[in-house]
Amino acid sequence: MSATADARLPGVAAGSAPQLNTLRHYRQLTVELAISQFKLRYTQSVLGYLWSLLKPAMLFGITYFIFVDLFKINDGTEYYGMQVLLGIVLWTFFAECTGSSMQAIAGSAGLIRKAYFPRSILVIAASLSSLFTFLINMLIVFAIAVGLRQIDIGLRMLIVIPLLLELYVLALGISLFLASLHVQFHDVGHLWDVMMQLLFYGSGVMFSLTYVLQRLHLALQVGQTVPNHSPIFVWIAAVMTANPITQIIEDLRHALLAPQAPWTEAVVTGHLAAVHQLHALDVPWMLPVPFVIVIVILTTGALTFRARARSFAENL
Amino acid sequence: MIVTDGSLAISVENLSKRFRIPLDRSATLKHRLTHWRSASRYRALEALLDISFDVPAGQFIGVIGHNGSGKSTLLKILARIYRPDAGRVTINGKVSPFLELGVGFNPELTARENIFLSGAILGLGRIELHRLFDEIIGFAELEQFVDHKLKNFSSGMEVRLAFSLAIQAHAEILMMDEVLAVGDASFQQKCFDIFNRYKREGRTVMLVTHELAAVTNYCDRALLLDHGRLVGDGSAADVTSQYRRAIGLAADGSRLNAEAERWGSRDVVVTGARMLDERGFEDSNPVTGGFARIEIGYEIQNDAVADFTCLVWLVRDDGIIVSESSFPVSQYAQVGSSQRGSGGTIRYDIRQLALLDGGYTVNVELQGRRDGATYDHLKPALRFRVIDKQGRHGVVDSGGAWSVVAAEQPVVSWPGPLASSQ
Repeated sequence: MSATADARLPGVAAGSAPQLNTLRHYRQLTVELAISQFKLRYTQSVLGYLWSLLKPAMLFGITYFIFVDLFKINDGTEYYGMQVLLGIVLWTFFAECTGSSMQAIAGSAGLIRKAYFPRSILVIAASLSSLFTFLINMLIVFAIAVGLRQIDIGLRMLIVIPLLLELYVLALGISLFLASLHVQFHDVGHLWDVMMQLLFYGSGVMFSLTYVLQRLHLALQVGQTVPNHSPIFVWIAAVMTANPITQIIEDLRHALLAPQAPWTEAVVTGHLAAVHQLHALDVPWMLPVPFVIVIVILTTGALTFRARARSFAENL
Repeated sequence: MIVTDGSLAISVENLSKRFRIPLDRSATLKHRLTHWRSASRYRALEALLDISFDVPAGQFIGVIGHNGSGKSTLLKILARIYRPDAGRVTINGKVSPFLELGVGFNPELTARENIFLSGAILGLGRIELHRLFDEIIGFAELEQFVDHKLKNFSSGMEVRLAFSLAIQAHAEILMMDEVLAVGDASFQQKCFDIFNRYKREGRTVMLVTHELAAVTNYCDRALLLDHGRLVGDGSAADVTSQYRRAIGLAADGSRLNAEAERWGSRDVVVTGARMLDERGFEDSNPVTGGFARIEIGYEIQNDAVADFTCLVWLVRDDGIIVSESSFPVSQYAQVGSSQRGSGGTIRYDIRQLALLDGGYTVNVELQGRRDGATYDHLKPALRFRVIDKQGRHGVVDSGGAWSVVAAEQPVVSWPGPLASSQ
């Protein structure tokens, strides 16, 4: 089948329609790239792949000690230390995935200038490599939780799968967006570092949403001021509940560790509604907000990437 | 077009490509924000201008032209790496995704790992690569280095590995950019063997190269590009000779470099210069330790010339003059009685070439013996590339010989403070 001459637009027409063969080829390439990136992470080290287990285990040990044993930050729900740990693991994935995937295009300039394949493969491979590390970390957290008997095993754990998928889709969408801009503007790298700092505190990584709400309660009770006049707390709670990362972390905590801790959904509708002063948050349309944000980010990322990918070879 | 659509491998209609080169390249947002009004501070470079041609399936086609003529840009557009600005390109068949050898190799991975990674870019499946693995390694002669990291390979080993992997690709249309430029003579021979095989298999091959001899020997057809325009399209022999004329190669094949600087009074002129091997064949790739002869043709243009000297400089590509040598031509040839129009050939024989791997140029000057006036100076008169078969590092083969004398005490020791403390 050959391209017809009806549309005289510039472009290179591949003679035949993309075949299953081609798709299999690209899938294999993605996997090979992800594997080699994972391997390269542990090159030139004596312990090699062992580091992929040792490093998170050691880092978790430190964090657990500081936040749970030393500072005793606690919202009263069960297994609070494990909840913090889970937040850190998720955040580490999100930070590492977006950070390394952002460089995926600019870092493969030689390959892009001299070989053809869909450019998104590079970003997807980088994110898969991070995802693989993340899954290992999750296994370690699970092992620690089982070891400390701080986990409630049950059917609701299955919800972990769609939640992790949501997290991956969010990270991938951001990565595609950042990677396509990073080719020409290295500023996005620095800008994203700052954004990450903001997101870190706005996502409830080191503390639970319940903890924030408890504090909010406290402020309202002690201060005795009219809530409408202190909109800052309302804003914090609103931003946090709209933030997909908070939603994912909180729901994972609920599903894996603390069934008593509320689902994010319950937080929004039930818990906040109970604090009836907070009318601003007592709205059902807040519920799908995190999911809508994820979809919008993925779409924006993919479209931006597609529009810019054609000129990567020339701009690198 | 007479050929039916189905048998066309590549069809290019009115293809144009323009590069916008920023006048001050700055990859920051601030620049964009502060200079958003002057967003048009670009210099446009017409890389390709209104190019049209068709390639029937199974044709072996060479693309030649000077540096910057748009050869590589054309190839990159056909391989979908660059996007055309105008025009239409239709490709029928699977195109090899590589343009150069060794693309996608990672120095930190082993040969084995690189085969699987690069093989994936080439579109070879894992199972297939497992099956082909021994053949690839065997052809590259790297059986003992399978699990060594690529960074420890010599460039020759790396090219061998890249080549033996690349020839496994199933592509129906192969595009190769300067593959011949990277290897030594035996590697080039391997390339040519593969080219012959491709021709027999009826694959479409598009070869960008500076090796005109390869184009005349292997290509059915050649395209000549000049500053982005297609100025020649025809049989390989016709187009290569058109190119030779355009860049000033003398009819006898001796080389006068087109981009050379040339000055002097032209009382005596250099008519050509070339490098020969010991058999007397033209060869611009001498080997270290081997023989190389530089031949310089001259012609006297002024009867008044009585006495002249020939100077030859060998210059390494980084600008270092590795040797200067002069020869009083008129003491050996009957110049005094000669007249306008007479000439000859000056030979400069290097019996044992000491230079190691690298690119070199030869500058030639014909100079009056009495006043030192420059008659003709060519910079450079020719280029050559030395190949050291042992792949040694350095500038020259020192010619040193090793030996050792075993004794109770060191016979030679440092005097004074350098002596090792007891």
